[in-house]
Amino acid sequence: MIDVFFQYDFLRNALFSGMLIGLVAPLLGVFLVVKRMSLVADALSHITLTGIAFHFLLATVFVGLAGVDPLYMGMAFAIIGALFIDQLRKIYSHFKELAIPIILSAGVGLGVVFISIADGFNTDLFAYLFGSVAAVGQTDFYMITIVSLLVGALLILFYKEWFFLSFDEEQAKVSGLSGKWLDLIFTVLVALVIAAAMRIVGILLVSALMALPVAAAMQWAKSFKQMFFYSAVFGEIAVLAGIILGFYLDLAPGGVIVVAAVLILLLSIFLQKLNRKSFQTKYAEPDAG
Amino acid sequence: MYKKSEAVIDIQQISYQYENSPVLNRVSLNVQPGSFLGLVGPNGSGKSTLIKCILGLLKPQAGTIHLFGTDVNHFTKWGKVGYVSQRANRFNAGFPATVFEVVSMGLFGQLGLFRFPKKKDHHRVYEALETVGMSAYAKQSIGRLSGGQQQRVFIARALVSEPELLILDEPTVGVDANSARHFYDLLGNLNQFHGLTLLLVSHDVGTMTRYVSDVACLNQTLHFHGSTRDFEANKDLSALYGYDVQHVIHEHEEMAR
Ligand SMILES: Nc1ncnc2c1ncn2[C@@H]1O[C@H](COP(=O)(O)OP(=O)(O)OP(=O)(O)O)[C@@H](O)[C@H]1O
Ligand SMILES: [Mg+2]
Repeated sequence: MIDVFFQYDFLRNALFSGMLIGLVAPLLGVFLVVKRMSLVADALSHITLTGIAFHFLLATVFVGLAGVDPLYMGMAFAIIGALFIDQLRKIYSHFKELAIPIILSAGVGLGVVFISIADGFNTDLFAYLFGSVAAVGQTDFYMITIVSLLVGALLILFYKEWFFLSFDEEQAKVSGLSGKWLDLIFTVLVALVIAAAMRIVGILLVSALMALPVAAAMQWAKSFKQMFFYSAVFGEIAVLAGIILGFYLDLAPGGVIVVAAVLILLLSIFLQKLNRKSFQTKYAEPDAG
Repeated sequence: MYKKSEAVIDIQQISYQYENSPVLNRVSLNVQPGSFLGLVGPNGSGKSTLIKCILGLLKPQAGTIHLFGTDVNHFTKWGKVGYVSQRANRFNAGFPATVFEVVSMGLFGQLGLFRFPKKKDHHRVYEALETVGMSAYAKQSIGRLSGGQQQRVFIARALVSEPELLILDEPTVGVDANSARHFYDLLGNLNQFHGLTLLLVSHDVGTMTRYVSDVACLNQTLHFHGSTRDFEANKDLSALYGYDVQHVIHEHEEMAR
């Protein structure tokens, strides 16, 4: 049944791209979640949409832009948004989460303005919002591969630093690990992954891929290293289920991916509850008898 | 790399204020290699602020600070300095990390960028945990330990890089009396036999003065800096800075039980 994915180029692209995103999005998500920043992904995904709207607006003026992938503009906007979030988190250092509604609403507001200036688009916005297997082209696949390699390399290089900084910023700084640019690199990486993931999962759902597998992993992981392992496994399962089932049942892949991730999460919570229960009854029995 | 005669910490005339009210006023303090300095003062007297200035976390508006002979703004060898903050146990308690992982963080600064802990580093982590009597908990989640146990883990993290200077801001808060005594014995050993220079903030002046070689009294300005014997001989000072107060507090706690 999976054969068909290797017969058609576009399906193969979608499958491989999805598997890469299903790996790197949850890996970055681990740091996002422990830094209590998981909503940053939402803010950045909305800014990405603003960038895409801006691209289409420009394309109505500069006809040459029609052939360019709108993703690049989305990516540029996401990175600018990341820089703003980084600054806002410093300005409101005691209310860091304030950066999220500011950037999120600025992104949506600006996007709506762009769309109304252009007098609406006839492009299939649905595919951008919820993802589409058919939308993944060869160049998308290359770009996603490059972004994933970059994320993978930086995660390995800065694992220590990001781990320590997210656990205890003050102590990390005393140990000589400088926070500023490491935070910035991290937020920019999140922006890149969101833009890259947009094709498959869709803008409205990409942040779910950074939070749900991590939330499920928290139920199982006994160490920080294991968090990455479980998050990646759960992310992969969700993405594969989403792309394959989405294709056969003709459903938006983003939606199926998120539903699969939610099911994994619920199952994890349920199994862990059961685990604890059986532990309790085991130790309660002598009392009862 | 510093000359033996050089001070480990050399503070010259620093002043610090957060917003409008001054917290530190022209404080000068000199900590010699191998000494064990106890820093005392009432709540809000600026002890933690002074320590954050020493660590480069806060920049004083006036004055200079040198660590191992280097201006703190240019100091890079942070592996030589261990620090246990007053708030160490206020971290995100749900953080999914093991005790082992938390202690190995203490090695990250020394390893530097792009380097990874090796086998011998694992060994050092276990040694540090052994020192504070927590090696049996290495694989436990840090969030599942009691406050005092967590504090010991953070002390192990400060020790694991084998620093030459260890700065502790009220490290025994929440640690039971027996463990606190063990802990002070440990600090005394590190100081005497390993030449570790120590700077300790504590409100438990009675216990502390049994171990430290020098005492500094801070309340915005430095009111006293000298040997423990001189501090104890100065009855006004030791009364003001907590000898009797500490005694009363102990009795209260006893009655509450
Ligand atoms: N982040 C801050 N912003 C503004 N003022 C502060 C800040 N931190 C401390 N202060 C003020 O600086 C003064 C000194 O605080 P500090 O924490 O250095 O005292 P301390 O001697 O460590 O007290 P304690 O014994 O309670 O730990 C206090 O009056 C406090 O109100
Ligand atoms: Mg303090």
